[in-house]
Amino acid sequence: MTIEVLDPTFGETSERFEPAERIRSLTGRTVGIISNGKRGTLGFFDVLESELIESHGVGEVVRVVKPNYSAPAGAEIMDVARTWHALVAGIGD
Amino acid sequence: MSSSGPIEMGGLAARRIEFDDHAALQEQFHSSMWSDGLPVVPPTPTAVATSLDWALLDAEHLIGVEPVRGRAVTAEKVAINSVMAGCLPMHFPVVVTAVTAMLAEPFLLHGATASTGGCGVLVIVNGPIRNEVGMNATFNAVGPSDRASTCIGRAVRLVLGNLLEIRPGEADRSTLGHPGKISFCIAEDEENTPWESLASERLGDPHASAVTVMSAMGPRQIMNEWTTDPAEILDTYVAEMQANMRNFSIWAGNYAIVVPPQLRAHFDAAGWSKADVRNYVFEAARVRRSEWADVGKANAVAGKGDREYAALTEPDDLLVIAAGGPAGGFGAVIPPWLGTKSRAVTVPVGACIDC
Repeated sequence: MTIEVLDPTFGETSERFEPAERIRSLTGRTVGIISNGKRGTLGFFDVLESELIESHGVGEVVRVVKPNYSAPAGAEIMDVARTWHALVAGIGD
Repeated sequence: MSSSGPIEMGGLAARRIEFDDHAALQEQFHSSMWSDGLPVVPPTPTAVATSLDWALLDAEHLIGVEPVRGRAVTAEKVAINSVMAGCLPMHFPVVVTAVTAMLAEPFLLHGATASTGGCGVLVIVNGPIRNEVGMNATFNAVGPSDRASTCIGRAVRLVLGNLLEIRPGEADRSTLGHPGKISFCIAEDEENTPWESLASERLGDPHASAVTVMSAMGPRQIMNEWTTDPAEILDTYVAEMQANMRNFSIWAGNYAIVVPPQLRAHFDAAGWSKADVRNYVFEAARVRRSEWADVGKANAVAGKGDREYAALTEPDDLLVIAAGGPAGGFGAVIPPWLGTKSRAVTVPVGACIDC
């Protein structure tokens, strides 16, 4: 005799979303880094900023820090982020 | 909360899976990470429908939406996980209420459960429903005290895992975690204390059945059988809170303390209310940042050694819970996950967001 049960999971393996349009080059572009704000990430993002500018010709790197590293970036940050050409979701510990 | 007549199963929308036998089912659930490492009760359509029927909830009823990922959590999916955890239909309304409370924005569910900090969800149950479902607020109150408490706490964890992928190495990034992440559910011993219940204090309704959830680290046990002075008893609790502030996190937030009958007797004799307890702890539970240097954290003092930190932002941050077996001058301090990032939330049983 078989046992029939119900699937306990949410049921969809990934949320539906459209990836942002890819940019062909970083040269002269503005790239944002949204840091989660943990102290240990500072050095890493310093190096990343340098790399973006020196190795990839990025015009400007904008660094912002979330006020709460355990919560999503708020509307204020996301409004600014819309003016950038690309962004890095800077999660670190 | 039950209805009479045949159980309606037509509304169940979850995918159905067939297994040849019980062993195959268990192994598939384990290998799919759908369990917590313990065997599960098969969530058959009949069992799930019976839980929904008991709570008078339709399968598609929206319990809430997880704020960060926007996931809609339905009664059917919560019922499936409730059955798996071993819950009886009569336990299901408590599980629903706990999930409702966890989905409230101040609880910061995603941050709390994904954090490397490794907190669990402490579920505190008040009101008549404790007795209706057979919860035991006395012996072993903070541990596996009874079937209902264990299964309800486990259901919360299975909901997190199966509906939000809060599983080790997936969205759960805990470095260590603690045993309360398997199940962490306490009933308050309202019958054996003159104190107002936790839910009554927080909701203003002395008759309501209600559930409080708190992002909680593991319990830290204290003992003081050598005084009858409430202040001295609280000094022991406070010392444990201060130790947590030095050794774990200095930030103020919701702490819970569990006070058993032997210690409560001294508070009762001296006429101390829960508010008196909270006010005393609020004033006393403080450390200076310089104390970090005593526990190997001198590098983090950072010139702020004289700054004073309180364990509570206000007296009401302290959740005072009457629970425990009749003998023993023990108590427990249950610290918050991380300051005020996640706030304790209390919801009455039967509350819903879209009815």
